[in-house]
Amino acid sequence: MSGRLASLEELAALRERLRNEQEAAQSAGRTPIRICMGASCIASGAAAVKRSLEKELAAAGLESRVALKDVGCLGPCSGGPVAVVGNVFYEHLQPEHCAEIVRSHLAKGQIVERLAHRRPDGRIVSRMEDMEFFRRQTKIVLGRCGRIDPQNIDDTLVEGGYRAMADVLRANDPEAVLREMKVSGLRGRGGAGFPTWRKWSFARNAPGGQKFVVCNADEGDPGAFMDRSIIEGDPHAVIEGMAIAAFTIGASQGYVYIRAEYPLAVERLKVALAQARQRGLLGKNILGAGFDFELEIRMGAGAFVCGEETALLTSIEGNRGEPRPRPPFPALSGLWGKPTLLNNVETYANVPSILLRGGQWYASHGAGKSKGTKVFALAGTIKNSGLVEVPIGMPLGDLIYDIGGGTSSAKEFKAAQIGGPSGGCIPKQHLNVPLDYESLSELGAIMGSGGLIVMDEDSCMVDVARFFLEFVQEESCGKCVPCRVGTKRMLEILNRICEGQGQESDVEHLIDLGEMIKETSLCGLGQTAPNPVLSTIRHFGHEYIEHIRDKHCRAGVCPSLVYAPCSSACPAGVDIPGYVSLVSEKRYAEGLRLHREKNPFPAICSRVCFHTCEDKCRRSTVDESVSIRGIKRFMVDQEVTIQLPEVRDSLENARRKIAIVGAGPAGLSCAYFLARLGYQPLVYESEPRPGGMLVQAIPSYRLPREIVAREVRMVENMGVEILTEAALGRDFTLKSLRGKGVEAVFLAVGAPLGVGLGIPGENAEGIIDALGFLRTYNLRGSAKVGKNVVVIGGGNSAIDAARTAVRLGAESVTVVYRRSREVMPAYKEEIEEALHEGVKLQLLTAPVDVVAEGGRVAAIRCRPMRLGEFDGSGRRRPEESGDVFTLPADQILVAIGQALSTQGFCDDIGLETNRSGFLQADPVTGQTSQKWIFAGGDAVSGPASVVEAVAAGERAAVGIDRYLTGGEHAFWRETKEVDTFFDPEKDPIDAPREHLPLIPVERRCNNFDEVEQPWRESVAVRQAQRCLRCDYGRRPGGNGD
Amino acid sequence: MSIGENSCSTCKQATEEELLAQLDDVLAGYAEVPGALIPVLQITQAMFGYLPETALRKISAKLKKPYSEVAGVVGFYSFFNTVPRGRHVVRVCLGTACYVRGGKAVLAALKTALRVEVGETTADRMFSLDVGRCFGACGLAPVIMIDDDVHQRVRPSRVVQILDQYRRETKAVGQGDGK
Repeated sequence: MSGRLASLEELAALRERLRNEQEAAQSAGRTPIRICMGASCIASGAAAVKRSLEKELAAAGLESRVALKDVGCLGPCSGGPVAVVGNVFYEHLQPEHCAEIVRSHLAKGQIVERLAHRRPDGRIVSRMEDMEFFRRQTKIVLGRCGRIDPQNIDDTLVEGGYRAMADVLRANDPEAVLREMKVSGLRGRGGAGFPTWRKWSFARNAPGGQKFVVCNADEGDPGAFMDRSIIEGDPHAVIEGMAIAAFTIGASQGYVYIRAEYPLAVERLKVALAQARQRGLLGKNILGAGFDFELEIRMGAGAFVCGEETALLTSIEGNRGEPRPRPPFPALSGLWGKPTLLNNVETYANVPSILLRGGQWYASHGAGKSKGTKVFALAGTIKNSGLVEVPIGMPLGDLIYDIGGGTSSAKEFKAAQIGGPSGGCIPKQHLNVPLDYESLSELGAIMGSGGLIVMDEDSCMVDVARFFLEFVQEESCGKCVPCRVGTKRMLEILNRICEGQGQESDVEHLIDLGEMIKETSLCGLGQTAPNPVLSTIRHFGHEYIEHIRDKHCRAGVCPSLVYAPCSSACPAGVDIPGYVSLVSEKRYAEGLRLHREKNPFPAICSRVCFHTCEDKCRRSTVDESVSIRGIKRFMVDQEVTIQLPEVRDSLENARRKIAIVGAGPAGLSCAYFLARLGYQPLVYESEPRPGGMLVQAIPSYRLPREIVAREVRMVENMGVEILTEAALGRDFTLKSLRGKGVEAVFLAVGAPLGVGLGIPGENAEGIIDALGFLRTYNLRGSAKVGKNVVVIGGGNSAIDAARTAVRLGAESVTVVYRRSREVMPAYKEEIEEALHEGVKLQLLTAPVDVVAEGGRVAAIRCRPMRLGEFDGSGRRRPEESGDVFTLPADQILVAIGQALSTQGFCDDIGLETNRSGFLQADPVTGQTSQKWIFAGGDAVSGPASVVEAVAAGERAAVGIDRYLTGGEHAFWRETKEVDTFFDPEKDPIDAPREHLPLIPVERRCNNFDEVEQPWRESVAVRQAQRCLRCDYGRRPGGNGD
Repeated sequence: MSIGENSCSTCKQATEEELLAQLDDVLAGYAEVPGALIPVLQITQAMFGYLPETALRKISAKLKKPYSEVAGVVGFYSFFNTVPRGRHVVRVCLGTACYVRGGKAVLAALKTALRVEVGETTADRMFSLDVGRCFGACGLAPVIMIDDDVHQRVRPSRVVQILDQYRRETKAVGQGDGK
């Protein structure tokens, strides 16, 4: 590097020379290699990769054929260490990979495919700019980051560094700079979004000789690393931006206040400052234009509050970093009382590009009042975590899914925390929110500095709020009371809620306190500290209520509320570790007895349960979750005679008249638990056979009928009478029951009505409701099936109907669904098996109308769809795309939803319903708007699972008992002692998860034999031993700690 | 953090008196710099490994700031330590899974073994004890982290063994360097 540049001309000449040199190197055919030396790639071992690459290059004698360069953050940190060779993006590099890259890619020009970036569908993306991660980004601030060597100023100069400053110095017109900044619409990127030009103009017009420019690089939000990456990757952009600002406002001294936790950024900035001074781009009489500017680094010392502007200035002055009241604003009275311009790293780094390419150009990016781009740091449970820059206003969902690749856990997205401790959580209903200042604050979040933490179902929102509050509580400087004491009080309440000690009034109290702290705190820290709590209350209020009222943490996070994550996840709260450990000791009868404490139907559930327990199993962090349903299946298959559970006889209870309407899983479960309390309810069932959906909708190849019959008989053996072919509204009414002296009724009538298609021609013959089709076959033993069957819908009924049609001899069965396979509500295993059995999926397709011939269906016309914006369910809404096509069909089975018609059975009583037309019932007791009528199951929740219906039946049984006696007698709810052996000192057994064997596909057609087969005993026991025993030490007696 | 780590070699070599003399040189260079207190404290901590009272008294005198003000600044920033930190930082995870699987018992065992409370450092400056939230290794809870190493399924009975491993390594390194 040569010496100091004395004039604007010398800078231009140097730039010209460097550019020529670079072109010469390019024309000599040197392959450029950029190796990421950002902090996270270094942490994943980038330095060792680089050493190995250099060694291999030397060994192969190829050093002169490449141009190897260290660069700042390339972006996809989760792929680190990463490098770009030519134009090919290599990820997860290890030192031992380098030899292959040199031998193959550099020597022979063959891409090393196994190391190159792949699309989700497995195809290799050979050009970096074609990667989904980069395609939707617009890099302005990060334009040079990842392309230049940040430690070599010449590299920056070649790429246009300091040209904007030179132009500004040449023009010598600060007002022109202000005008351009105004046109650009740039707003402060630190979070608050104040128009940058106005701040500059205040500082410029402030009276006083000595002025300062200060850069806020005290980036302290958990999960944020935008500013760090900019300084590490392109420090000169910040220096140049600050120099231009200094020139504009008339300052000669600047400070960069940077966190001590960022040693690499400090180091790179130091090097950059030294090189800039050496080149004469800082210091006295810069480029001979008569402008002096000196820049110093001041390091923070671990106080988050110093990110607040007045606290930061106090800290530079050498004091405790406590904020001071505003006004006066720093622009008038800042450092040592002098006018001070304070902007954040990203704001300054935008300035050179704006002045080079014009404010108009900058303002052409972004939307509405928010112009330009914003850098975000993607972190949390997101596939492509890393650093991205997008036009302001991009929908949140596009950022998370298109660029971020969605959640990394395969679990459903729950919320994005944006803006750190000052920000808030955005739930999946709002994935369409444009990322701009106004839209985000409408949702109770803020743009903030750009930290974006993605959370999936495994995050407890109360715990998240507590985490952030704990953070601000610790970081509150203590100067003002609302922040110091108020956040402490809020934290105490949150701790109480998480420990299961919450009170009904707590949520309201949190809101009051939060609003008060926001209004009365001295600085930004306190004024925003309650945001994470307020925003989670706003969007996830139900989780607070569950913690307080039900003592339930749905994510399985809060220790005091979680017995074992599997049991917490089970709607019925079955003691899973208990029976699994009993199976591991071959004590099947005891295991079943324990299961039936909470859920009377282990045999049924071992076939059809959707096992949320396995989704939460902690073993999945070691290898794969315990195969809980498989273990249960083996256990129930060992039962010869069903043992009855503990029943507490009560003559008094036996005299009370209770009616249950509907003998599905909810009604039968309610009857079972009432019987255990000594009641003898009478169950009314409209169909000839009890079982509800279990026998009407679920095909017998999934759930053999004798299994259902056995467990129904068990309930009958407990003193429950079931009256079949007695339909509500036809054979009796609620009023008539009341007239017969019935004291309480449990309504569990399901949601038996199929929803119609609502398209032209839907009344043609051959179009039937899938549920009706299943019901006909399952109850009568025969149903008419077409040759070419089209099933419309993506839920379990659709797949059940399709697989039933295959078994009944349909030649072709096609399931038409308007969204994509990933979001089909049917169980994954069922879809998989349907495909094996020859069912075709016609995804992203919506029916348009029915073609009928002679009144009979002949075909259905469909339109291809594509996925558009996100809807309220957090899924992408299908939109029309492409031309209508025709699918031949002689039978169409419609399975697009189920409904409840309350007409005919509660007209005379007047029960309240919710917006979807289902019954309104208390979530704890099942009580409806009529005190003596309780309801549960699909009639309340809409179509749901068997185990949820069981849970609703249990709750209603307890609710009815309380209604009749005024007391709480649910003795089964206590955790039971289990004396199985467990040695906490031993490592978990090293056995992989096994799946249940299936009968071969060719043996499935034309019959309804059960597809899933049980394991051998040795397999079942071994699978049960895989359990990590999260219940250890948390049970009364037995294996206490 | 790097500042603290870099200091270890120097603090071994130089006595406290020598370091205090070096501090004089540093202070001379900062006498006229506005807002010098925090940078001076950072340099001092890098030299000593922590901020001993003797050094703070000297800084107070040379920068002409009341000792109360110096102490106030030191107390405000979490980066500054007035007690030496150990060579190894032991962090016990008290996230959900670890808490449930006996993280508290492990913490109690560590307190007994090291004879310190959370946030303190052993007399031989070998270990500092801290608690943390989830380290992301819940399947093998309870977990502790010593420096950057994660130890999974830690049992209270084995805590001493694990600590000894670090004691031995530290000694071995010391001898290897010929110190």
